[in-house]
Amino acid sequence: MTVQLERPLDQAATTALETGVRAERSFGWRDLITPAVCAILVAAEIWYLSTRDLDAIEASQLEAAKLWDQTVQHIWISVAIAGMVLGVAIPLGVLVTRRRTRWIAPVVLLVGNVGQAAPTVGLLAIVGGFWLGFWAVALILGAYAMLAVLRNTIVGLQQVDPDVLDAARGMGMSPMAILFRVEFPLAVPVIGAGARTALVLAVATVPLGQNLGAGGLGATLFAGIGQNRDVTILAASLFIAVLAVLMDWAGAMVQRALTPKGIRTA
Amino acid sequence: MSDSTDVATTPKAAGSGSDAAGVPIVLDHVSKRYPGTKSAAVDDISMEIPAGEIVILVGPSGCGKTTTMRMINRLIEPTSGTITIDGEDVLSLDDVKLRREIGYVIQQIGLFPHLSIAQNVSLVPRMLKWKKQRTNDRVDEMLSLVGLEPAEYRHRYPRQLSGGQQQRVGVARALAADPPVMLMDEPFGAVDPINRARLQEEFLAVQDKLRKTIVFVTHDFDEAVKMGDRIAVLDQGSKIAQYATPEEILSSPANAFVEGFVGHGATLKRLQLERLETVDLRPVTDADSAAPRVPIKATLHDVLDEMIAKAQESLVVVKDGKPIGSVALDDVLARVRELRAEAEAREGA
Repeated sequence: MTVQLERPLDQAATTALETGVRAERSFGWRDLITPAVCAILVAAEIWYLSTRDLDAIEASQLEAAKLWDQTVQHIWISVAIAGMVLGVAIPLGVLVTRRRTRWIAPVVLLVGNVGQAAPTVGLLAIVGGFWLGFWAVALILGAYAMLAVLRNTIVGLQQVDPDVLDAARGMGMSPMAILFRVEFPLAVPVIGAGARTALVLAVATVPLGQNLGAGGLGATLFAGIGQNRDVTILAASLFIAVLAVLMDWAGAMVQRALTPKGIRTA
Repeated sequence: MSDSTDVATTPKAAGSGSDAAGVPIVLDHVSKRYPGTKSAAVDDISMEIPAGEIVILVGPSGCGKTTTMRMINRLIEPTSGTITIDGEDVLSLDDVKLRREIGYVIQQIGLFPHLSIAQNVSLVPRMLKWKKQRTNDRVDEMLSLVGLEPAEYRHRYPRQLSGGQQQRVGVARALAADPPVMLMDEPFGAVDPINRARLQEEFLAVQDKLRKTIVFVTHDFDEAVKMGDRIAVLDQGSKIAQYATPEEILSSPANAFVEGFVGHGATLKRLQLERLETVDLRPVTDADSAAPRVPIKATLHDVLDEMIAKAQESLVVVKDGKPIGSVALDDVLARVRELRAEAEAREGA
């Protein structure tokens, strides 16, 4: 047999499309743009605060050490909520796409849809009437973010090329091996996108749980609103927004690191 | 692709099995019926697939040829009947373990896009817990076998390969654990015609060495003639219309369905199976010096085509670039008459 390159470039391009796997690009300098912009925004805000004469209330609200503690707390709460959502939604997504348990799909999707459609603020208010603390907030915000992960898990697993699965089965891979060594690796880009959405939703909605004692930067935000201090509101809003963007960026980096090299673009 | 054409005169591996690495497969009254359908997808098929042969299942779309093939490695469970591989009932085996002993190649190839070529090829050996060194050596051996330089291709990913190269990897992957049996579902169907012809020939050369038992599904009768030691022409419900060597099917189709499926020009197709080597060559004369040349490996179909194309009644036959004799139109016609006589004798018998 002879070695020959037959139309390597154009055919390779077609087959990449045919595999139905969404390609991810590799790491590069462009990945530093987001954190750089965030750093500039935060620096600008700090400079702005330093030029202003803060009154006693504002000064106590915007105390650096307190803001830092709240930020760290905010990150942990968001990550914990997102982690819980992944822990529930990914297994459910797997069950929905297995032939034997496919029948649960309507139930699971109904719950997911209700979770997202229900007004979060209203739920927080109602639940806040009888249940306070981290777990109450985590449950409500988790229900809100659940659908994003669930839907992406289902789509991510379903978009795996059926011919690849047929080959895997035909070669004698067990269903478990196919799930963990073929389906999940190929679904990482899509499931990852859902996980990032959940994380951003968590960062953005944690402040709403302030009245239930969730903690995080919501405390400063609502303090600013309560005392009618625009400087405080602006600062807290900006920090929350920057945090959301940075968390999404970090999620993107993790996602790309988990994406197998074969389905990343050059 | 060597001697795959000599089946009629010297049945390739029929019954012998002595030098065959493959094992026989027997389908006994096998049916597949899907719930809620009136007619069976596969209706009571029985056939014996001899060790070390390429048996082609050919037929129109929906005849159940792929279903029949997929029941052998239990990707589809038969509704009734038994299938044995080397005497062992496949239904009594663990389906996952069974499939590791059977090579599997499909038209869409189905390489794992996230794994390198080496990882793709080594998948079954790794599942069978081969030693690392043995697995690595085997990957290199298989890639070389299908004409891909190991050093160059080992670390590539499927999307960096052309369609033809991907199918070579598909074949290498199926052969990696040295299974006695291979199932191939239109393996070269998605490749362009030029590459398809090359892959077919290369595969026949590989099979010549390996002597696997191969069940090969196609809807292309010409491919069936080219690749098969035996061909099963299937009608709806996988009813076997005829199960015979390509020569027999071409020269004496069993019924109108087979005749229709063989299509026009059966005699010309028959000549595709005849090598120039089966004809006694004439010595080269001075008159031939300007005649066009054909290689000794050519088929009589090629010879005839060349004669018509060049409007010549005589061609010079070359082996390794050197003239070794000549062939005339009369020689081809004489061989056609012989073949007819053989076919009639077979029908009379």
